Formats: sequence, structure tokens, C-alpha cells
Amino acid sequence: MSESRILLDPTSERQPGNRPRAPRLATVSGKTIGLLDISKPRGDIFLDTLEAGLTERGATVVRYRKPTFAKPAPVDLRHEIATQCDAVVEALAD
Amino acid sequence: MSRERPPLPDGLVAFVKRDCPTCELVAPVLAQVAAQQGVTVYTQDDPAFPAGLSPEDDTSLERSWHWEIESVPTLLRVRQGAETARLEGWQRQEWEAFTGASGLGPDLPDWRPGCGSLSVDPSLEAALRVRFSGSKLHARRVEVASLEDEMEALFARGWTDGLPVVPPTESRVLSMLEGTTRDPQEVVAVVAPDLVPCTVEKVAINAVLAGCKPEYLPVVLAAVEAVCTDAFNIHGVLATTMGVGPIIVVNGPIRRALGMNSGINVLGQGNRANASIGRALQLVIRNVGGGRPGEVDRATYGNPGKLGFCFAEDEEASPWEPLSVSLGAAPGTNTVTVFAGEGPRNILDQLAREPEPLCRSMAACLGSVHHPKIVMGMDCMLVVGPEHARIFREAGWSRQQVIERIRELTARRGAELMRGADEMAEGLPLPEEARDAMLPKFREGIPLLVHAGGGAGLFSAIIGGWLTGAEGSLPVVQEIAA
Amino acid sequence: MVEIEDRGLPTVYVATTEFIDGGVAQAKALGANPAAIFVHHPIQDRTDEEMREIARDALSQVLTNLVSD
Repeated sequence: MSESRILLDPTSERQPGNRPRAPRLATVSGKTIGLLDISKPRGDIFLDTLEAGLTERGATVVRYRKPTFAKPAPVDLRHEIATQCDAVVEALAD
Repeated sequence: MSRERPPLPDGLVAFVKRDCPTCELVAPVLAQVAAQQGVTVYTQDDPAFPAGLSPEDDTSLERSWHWEIESVPTLLRVRQGAETARLEGWQRQEWEAFTGASGLGPDLPDWRPGCGSLSVDPSLEAALRVRFSGSKLHARRVEVASLEDEMEALFARGWTDGLPVVPPTESRVLSMLEGTTRDPQEVVAVVAPDLVPCTVEKVAINAVLAGCKPEYLPVVLAAVEAVCTDAFNIHGVLATTMGVGPIIVVNGPIRRALGMNSGINVLGQGNRANASIGRALQLVIRNVGGGRPGEVDRATYGNPGKLGFCFAEDEEASPWEPLSVSLGAAPGTNTVTVFAGEGPRNILDQLAREPEPLCRSMAACLGSVHHPKIVMGMDCMLVVGPEHARIFREAGWSRQQVIERIRELTARRGAELMRGADEMAEGLPLPEEARDAMLPKFREGIPLLVHAGGGAGLFSAIIGGWLTGAEGSLPVVQEIAA
Repeated sequence: MVEIEDRGLPTVYVATTEFIDGGVAQAKALGANPAAIFVHHPIQDRTDEEMREIARDALSQVLTNLVSD
């Protein structure tokens, strides 16, 4: 590990040092949950079931799919998801 | 590795390395000395060198570092654990005088200079400094993950003001701490809003982020101390919806030493000391104190100076004593004066050649600071440009005279200031009896006059302030300590 | 995934146990610690009904990771 990869924390150290997780939702009811399909074929059965379960609990589900399996989601898709949804489930990497 | 200096045995001690022709040359001399009176030899590279002398292994360079060995061979005399004398390189007369021996190295030339010690090799120096001094840094270490871009990592962790910052490696922070004699763990101030005790080390880390040089650190430390006083009230300055931030004015010989700008574009960009010192203070407020826009910082507009706002007064051409001296500091001392202010706006007067008409122009412009009908509540700074200042100097007007004339000229009748007067809802809730009273725009001593600016341009600059007094913020002068 | 979490959206990542080392490690290499749940590998050879069953089980873990206590 190169010496330059270790940094001194400039903060009060009252928060964790690394990328913090985003705060969780209080409830899924009334929220828009994005389902990002990152699966191989037949993954849609899995996602359909998740969608049904979330919808039953009062969420609005929006489905998305990455254009290619291997590469990360492109900027436009991430922006679309981030502006349209309150939370995201990415499934199913297999 | 300990930061404590490892001991050396009493007697003669030598430091050598194999990769040094002079060390190879004096190996037989060391053997002679060893036979006569004993010598402990530390080797920096090959522990088997010199053969036959049972050398001690200093390939970690820990002893060489802590005993500040600069060249090899170095011969030390140690008495009761302390160094009493040393010599470097090979010179027969010196070695004979030092050791009390005679006939040393008969086949050798009379003298031969040494080579550089590995412990001062530039390519090793940064790593050695971290290894041997790193434990004096107490801040949490954060590792940049293997796939992270180093600069993006700083944004991702929320350590920046929106612009890139310099990654605060241990080596950079140790260098920065060389800029002060203060102990890294000394608590400088308790920083609002989170009320965090802030050490010299934490200020140094943020000074690295900001792009400061080590010699700027004492100015940043003084600014942090000054804004964290009750009088300055950084919490109030931060939490207000008004767009003010701390502005640092530097006085004293340190301005020249640091190459600060007090001339052309003084309130703008381009000078590293001005820009990075101001920025370091803001980063301390953000990173240590927890004061961030959208959280405790509720400013409606803010101002570009909240990235950092620091400049030097032009004392040399000023008609008056330095700002700091006018506020009570001893002449000739290095100081920062902190003032809660907004962005600057221009006063244009290209025709006045006498102090009175110039004061009238200034007063006309100053009257509208925040609102023409709001008086007495807020402080203000007036940066007087050199071409305007010359008018005051030639007429012999003191700082006090200028301020008093401006205060007289900015006073208004109560009737004009009342809410609803001039069909403006804003104003003061004055009783009828106050209609004819003359109310000054500013309290005594305000506006603060600072002399700075480019030599060409018949302009001065207004920097509006915030609420004054115990509920607001007062300007604070802090001496800069080394 | 990390990029979406950085924008403030809570994210849950569902993968088979094969991916414990892969996807999560990649996120960790970016300094993140994502919420992730795992279903048993392999999944491709399951019947449709088995898939639905696995998904219903996964749903409760998804909810736990999306919603705070």
C-alpha cells in the first residue's frame, strides 16, 4: 500500500471516515422504489416477485434495466433513477 | 518505530555505508581504532560491512535519522548518552586529534570528503519522516480504497468546499507542522457549531487541504483562535441568513515574509497566501466545527468570500497607523484582525481632490449598506484605495477624522428612517418624539478603515458587516505566534 | 450502485453467494459499505415456483435493509 493512500482525517471525527451509507427510509409505503435489473435471463421472475411484494406494502415500483450486464450503469440511467426514486434495489447478480 | 531517539553507547561511534568510497577507505582506520580503544560502528546499507568490526545494523536508518547523521563516515564521541563531538569525512589530523591516536591510515591520502548519509537521501526522506515522526500525529487515518481516485476520494468524504483539495498525507501534514513551534496536540480553540476542541494538528491538516505552505500555518492558527472567541461569535456568523463570513486582515512584517498581496486585485484571486489562508480557516469551520451550508449555515445568498477571504493591509503607503494598531495592538507586531463581512462593492469617485467631497461620496454610498433606513445595528469595513488615501494624506486627515466625518454625513433624521417613510415598509420602529433626532448609520469607530488596493484607480471598496455587539459579532485582533 | 448511494438514495444490492467476493469487494474498493443480501447460488437451474419462493424470502431482508429501525 503506497504511503500516499493514507490520509489524515481533517474532521472532528464524529462521523465514520469513509463513504457513509445514505439514510434509510422510514417506511416503503408511499415511496417510489426503483428496481434495477442487473440479472441474466429469468431474473425477471425474481424481480416480479419483489415488485409484487413491495407494491403490496404500498410502494410504487419503477423497473429499470442496465443496457449491458458487464459495465456499470451509465450516468443518464443513474440520474434518471436518482431523480425518480426514493430508494433502489439492484438485483440479481448471479 | 519509536519517536523516541534510540540511545548510542558511550565512547566512539561511527556511521558508515558500504556504498561510499570514503567509508571503504577508512575501514582499516576503524579497525585500528577498534583495536586501540574500541568503536561501535553502525552500517546504513550492508550489515556485513565493514568486515571484522561486528557492525550494528542501522538499515532501518532509525539511529541515523534520530542522531541527524548527514554524511558518512561520521565519527561521534558519546559521553553519558549525549553527543559531545563529531567529525565527518576523512582527514588524518582531525581523526588523530579526535581519537587521541597516532599513525592512523598510513597508506591513505591525507583527506577525503564523505558521501551523503542515506537518512538524508531525498528519495527516502518523506517516508523516513513519516516512519519516525508519524506517531506524533494523532488524527484518525483514513485509507483511500484501491479503486478510488485520490482526488475524488476527498470529494466523496465531504472534506471539500466544492473545489478540489490537496490530499492530506502524513508526510504533507508533518511538513506543514514544521511551520509552527507549537505542539501538534495543543488545543487551539473550541470550534462551533459542534463545539469541537481543535488541535494544532487538525488546523495543519486543513491547511494542507487548502494549499497552504508551512509558513502560513501560524496565520491560520491565529485566525482560528480569533474567530472562536465569544466576541467574534463564529456560531452566529455561520447560522445567520445574512451572507457574511469571516474576513482576515493581516498586519505586520509577516505580510512581506509570506509574499501576501495588498495591491492590485487585493480582494480577488491569484495570490497563494491570501487565497489559501482564507480557505484554510473556512475548511476548519466546515470540517472540524461542522459548519456546512444547508445545515447550520442557512445563508440565503452567502458570498464568494466564503470560499476564503484574506488579504494584507498596505501599511507602507497608508496615511494612517495599521488597522491592528488602531484596534489596540502594539506597533510592529504580526496580527490577524477578523471581521464578519459580506462581498465587497465599489465606491467610484474620480473627481474629488479634497477630503470633504470625497467623504461625501463615500457617505452617500455607505448609507445604503444593507438598507438606507437601517442604522446603528451593523458594522462595516471601508477599504480605502491608495489614490483616495492620498487625498486624506495630503490634507493631513487622521483615521479618526475620516471616520467621524463619515459618521456625521451618514446620520439621518428619525423621520426619514421610520417604517413606512418614503413608502418603504422597512425602517426603524421609532416613536413620534424621535422624528427630529439625528441617528448615525454606524457606531463609533465604524467604518473600520483598511488601506489596500492597486495604485491606479480612484476607487474604494465597501464591505458590509453583520450585527454588532454582544448579540452579533465584533472585530477581533489576534497576535500571530510562531 | 455506489454512485446512486452517494446521491442520497438508500440502496440494497441482491446477489447470489457467488458474488460475495466480487460486487461487494468492488464497492469496498471504492470506500463504500453497501447494504447487500445474498441468496444461495446457483439460481439459474431453479423452477419458476422455486424462484418466487426465494424472492419472497429475499423480500423480507430487502425491507430490513431499506427501512431504518
